[in-house]
Amino acid sequence: MEHNPFKWGRPDDAVYGAYNHQIAEAGVNSLFPKMNTQNPIITGTSVIGIKYKDGVILAADNMGSYGSLMRFSNVERLLTIGENTVVGVSGDISDAQQLARYLDSLELQENVYDNDGENQLKAVNVHEYLTKLLYHRRSQMNPLWNALIVGGFDEAGEPFMKSVDLLGVSFSSSTLATGFGAHLAVPLLRQVIPEDKKYVDVTEEQARKVIEDCMRVLFYRDARSMDKYSMVTIKKGQELKFEKDLVVKDQNWRFAQNIRGYGNAQQ
Amino acid sequence: MSDPSSINGGAAVAMVGKDCVAIASDLRLGNQSLGVSNNFEKVFQFGDKTFLGLTGLASDVTTLSQVFRLKTNLYKLREERSIEPQTFANLVSSTLYEKRFGPYFIGPIVAGLDSKTDKPFICGFDLIGCIDFAKDFIVSGTASDQLYGMCESLYEPNLEPEDLFETISQALLNAVDRDALSGWGCVVYVITKDRVVKRVLRTRQD
Amino acid sequence: MSRTTVASEYSAEIQSTPIEHRFNPYSDNGGTVLGIAGKDFAVLAGDTRHVTGYNINSRYEPRVFDVGDNIVMTANGFAADGKALIDRFKNQIKWYKFNNGGKKLEMQSAARYIQQLLYGKRFFPYYVSTLIAGLDEEGRGAVYSYDPVGSYEREQCRAGGAAASLIMPFLDNQVNFKNQFIPGTDGKEKRPFEYLSLQEVIELVKDAFNSAAERHIHVGDGLEILIVTKDGVRTEYSPLKRD
Repeated sequence: MEHNPFKWGRPDDAVYGAYNHQIAEAGVNSLFPKMNTQNPIITGTSVIGIKYKDGVILAADNMGSYGSLMRFSNVERLLTIGENTVVGVSGDISDAQQLARYLDSLELQENVYDNDGENQLKAVNVHEYLTKLLYHRRSQMNPLWNALIVGGFDEAGEPFMKSVDLLGVSFSSSTLATGFGAHLAVPLLRQVIPEDKKYVDVTEEQARKVIEDCMRVLFYRDARSMDKYSMVTIKKGQELKFEKDLVVKDQNWRFAQNIRGYGNAQQ
Repeated sequence: MSDPSSINGGAAVAMVGKDCVAIASDLRLGNQSLGVSNNFEKVFQFGDKTFLGLTGLASDVTTLSQVFRLKTNLYKLREERSIEPQTFANLVSSTLYEKRFGPYFIGPIVAGLDSKTDKPFICGFDLIGCIDFAKDFIVSGTASDQLYGMCESLYEPNLEPEDLFETISQALLNAVDRDALSGWGCVVYVITKDRVVKRVLRTRQD
Repeated sequence: MSRTTVASEYSAEIQSTPIEHRFNPYSDNGGTVLGIAGKDFAVLAGDTRHVTGYNINSRYEPRVFDVGDNIVMTANGFAADGKALIDRFKNQIKWYKFNNGGKKLEMQSAARYIQQLLYGKRFFPYYVSTLIAGLDEEGRGAVYSYDPVGSYEREQCRAGGAAASLIMPFLDNQVNFKNQFIPGTDGKEKRPFEYLSLQEVIELVKDAFNSAAERHIHVGDGLEILIVTKDGVRTEYSPLKRD
C-alpha cells in the first residue's frame, strides 16, 4: 500500500503521470504564465444595507454557490472590523476570505501601532482602504471579484454606508444593495427612504422590517439565495449587534400553486 | 463607421407652432468624412401641406422619396385630393414595415397641416416604421443628439410662424455645427394655413 | 511569439496563442458636467446621479470637487478612474504647498500638471473627460478641458460626459452667440461676444441640465453647481428629474 499519507486520495501517478508542480508555482520561476481571476468560482449573492436614524443595518445570506450548485450553506459574508464597522461581501468567496485577511491585518496594525485610546478605525477609513485595494487590483488586471458594502460611522460619528466593487467604483446612498438586490431590494428600501437625506426619519424598527422584507423577496426570486442569513445592526453608542442564523419569516408560497413547473399546476 | 445610417450624414427636424409647423434639414451629402454635395435636400413635399424629412443612407433617401412620390400620385388619382399628413404618416409606417427584415436605413419625419382643420401635425419614425407622435418637435439624423439638446432648451409651445422659423433655424444651425457629418447649408419650410415659405440658410462651410 | 497560455489548470500544454481576456477594467458611470468661465468668476456644474447600466446606484454622489487653491475639478466617465485622478491631483497640491512654502498653485500650472497625470497613463488611460475651473492670474474666469489622454485647451465653456453632445451646441449658441447676427444686417454682422453675468450663467446651466435630464437617462436627480470667485468656492444645489 501507499505509505505516504500526502499521496492518499490524489490522482495516481501510474495512471495520470506525475503532477507538474510548475502549474501550482505559475508565475514564480515557472514556464507557466501567472493566472489572474477571470471569473468568480464560489459566489455569494446580494448584500443589502440601509441607514437609519442612529445607525446602519446590513444583511447577507449564508450561501456559497458553485455555479447553480448550493455548495456551502454556512458562509459568513458579514465581516466586522474594529468596534463598529461591518463589511458585507458578495461575489467570489475566496477573494472575500483574502479580503478578510487583509482587514484582519489592517485592524491588527491599527491596534498595535496607532492605538492611543481614541483614534479608532472608522468605517470611512475601512472603505477608503478597500476602494484603494480593489482599484489597485483592477489596475493590475487581477481583480478581487467582489462587490462590497461598508457600514458604520463617519468621522463625525454619523451613520455611514458606502459601496465599492471589483473595478474600484464606489458610491454612497442611504439604501444600498449589491447583485440581484440592486434590482429587487433597492426599490423596496427606497420606498422607506425616498430622499437620500431623509434616513434620519427612519427608526430602527422600520429599517429592520424592510430589511427582513427584502431578504424574503430575495429568497423568493433570487435562485442563488437561501433563507438563512446574518444581520448586523450598528447603532450609535451601542455595541454592534450581530445576529446569525436568522430565518426568512412569514414565507408565503401560495402564489406558486398556479405557476406551471413550480407547484401542482398542470399544463 | 460602416453603419449604413451614418455613411452619408445629414440631419432633419420638425416643430409645431401656433397654427403652423416647420420642417428643416441640412444640405450635406458626404461619403464618410468626405463632403460630396452641398445641395442635397432632405425635405420633400407630397401634398399641399404634407412634408417628409428623410435622413440616413442617401440611396435609401432617394429611393424612398421616389416610392412615396409614386404612392402619393396614385393616391391623388384615386382620391382626387392630395394626401393628409396623418394619412401620409400611416403610409410611411406601413411602407417601412414591409421591409421589416431588410429595412431601409433611414430616419423619416413628417410635418404638415390638416387640410380640413388646419391643425398642425408632426411625427417621426424608426427605420422599420414605428411612429413617434410628438406634440412639440421631432429630430432625426446623425446630429440627433445635438438636435435633442437644442430643441429641448430652445423650444416653447405656441410660437408664431416667424418665431418658429427663428427657433427651428437656431436649433438646426447650432446642432449641425457640432456634427462633422451634417451642415453645408440648411433649408427650412414654414407651413401656415395660407402659404408655405421655403428659406435656404447660410451656414459654416466646414 | 511569446508563450502566453495554459488551456486549463490540469493541462501541461503551453500555447503561443493569446487567451481571451475577459475582465474589462472599465465601466461607464454616466452623469454629465459643464463648465463656464465668466469675466471674474467660473462655474463647474455636474448632476449627482451615479449609474451602472440601467441601475441608479445613487441619487446623490457628488462629482464636482473643490480641490483647494480656488480650483474646482471634475473627471466624468468611469468613476473609479475619476476618483483616482482627482485624489492624485489633490495630493499633488498638498505636496506643492509643502515644497513651496504654502504657495498657491496657479490655474495654468494646475492645468499643465493634470495633462502630465493623464498622459502618464497613455497606454492604460483614465476613461474620463476632465474639466477644471478657477481664476487665472489676472482674476478672469478660466475653464480647462481635457481628453482622456491629456490633450487640453483653455475655453470659455465646455460640456463633458454622457450628455455633452446635447449641451455643447446649446452653449455655442448661448455663451459664444454662435449663429447669432445683429438684426437688420442681413446676416453680415455677427453678434459680438460679451461676458454673461453670474446670474445669467447659472440660469443657463440649469436650462442645459434640465434639457439633458429630459432626454438622457444617465442624467438627473440633482444638480450641483460650484462657483469660483475671488472670495472662494460656493456650492448651489437644485433638484433635477428623478425618472
